[in-house]
Amino acid sequence: MNAILTKFNWFGLAGGATTLVVIAVSLVYPWWQLTVGDDLLKVNASPVNTNFGVLDTSFTIPFILALNIVSLLTLLASGIAMIIYSIIPRKSYSKHLLGFGYKKPLFTVLFFVIGLVVTTVILQAVLSLNVPLMGSTTSTLPIPFVSGITLSVLLSAGFQWSFWLAVVAAGLCIAARLYHRKVAPTPSATTAT
Amino acid sequence: MDKVQLLLTLITIAIIVVPIVGMLLAYQNNLLGLFIPPEINEIAEDLAGGGGTNGAGLEPPTMVGEPEYDPATQTFSVSFQYKNTLPFNITIKSLSGNIECYEHGFPLGNASLSKPVSIDRGKTGTLTVLGTWTDEAISHFETAHKDEEFVDVVLVDFAVDISGIQLQLDQSQMEQKMQVPNPAYEG
Repeated sequence: MNAILTKFNWFGLAGGATTLVVIAVSLVYPWWQLTVGDDLLKVNASPVNTNFGVLDTSFTIPFILALNIVSLLTLLASGIAMIIYSIIPRKSYSKHLLGFGYKKPLFTVLFFVIGLVVTTVILQAVLSLNVPLMGSTTSTLPIPFVSGITLSVLLSAGFQWSFWLAVVAAGLCIAARLYHRKVAPTPSATTAT
Repeated sequence: MDKVQLLLTLITIAIIVVPIVGMLLAYQNNLLGLFIPPEINEIAEDLAGGGGTNGAGLEPPTMVGEPEYDPATQTFSVSFQYKNTLPFNITIKSLSGNIECYEHGFPLGNASLSKPVSIDRGKTGTLTVLGTWTDEAISHFETAHKDEEFVDVVLVDFAVDISGIQLQLDQSQMEQKMQVPNPAYEG
């Protein structure tokens, strides 16, 4: 029983598979969504697919699309590397595969959250626009050169289930790194036991 | 360096460099387009053009029919037609304001939208505004406008919620003048 448990890195297998599922899911379901007014403007953001919906028109920003492709390929390579490593965790090159794969989902999640926080801080500083990361708020929009008019909009934002699935994938990959010590103990550790 | 490690490092570099360089090459003659896609300009043109008489896609509402007054509840109703010249469908969820006597600036009561109205782009919808006179307003009509069948009033502190966007105008920006039947007029 113990041999079966330590033959594969099950956490790595689950983490790699979940990472691939996250990629597929994130193409359709955003990690974070912002709605302005009654769907007048919608921001669907995820590291692999970010698009904007304004007045029935949906579009992407080419530079963000390039970053999305980088993230998609990074997660894809990470997922594949984690699965290959998990099946053959004791090969000489397996630790390289693990090192290559296990951090990327975590970094993707971290960079995504940091990117959102920085963007909202910049919007607050430059446009005095209070964009929530989670929940709803009514924000007053500045109208340059016009006095006596107050324009405020309801902003609703929140992390979607696909984001939490990515957090789970990142957690499983970290667990895979920790479990690696049991699956493929280092020679010194083996000698000690 | 281990061959596998070298291969993984090369893959990492390629994953980062190829998409960004590829996109830069695709937009090398239009670097602004890398950050501002053509759809944004189209939306801006749609919003700026609109076709309304005010140039910003907005038409002022026009009053239709005669205002109606119910003495029992001291309420009146006025209907307006509004053409949606904006490039998207709207729902006017709420509308409110205070009513003042145009001549004396006396506060008479308040007005609000009877029910939310959805208007598709290019279509015209009817908004029914309900107003309620205060007891002081009735006294004002009796003392200051007794012989007038209709009295000029203005809507001040106007606030409207259109599809989740709330617009508040103070008196300097909007003074919607209208005629309402005088509740104290006895013919």
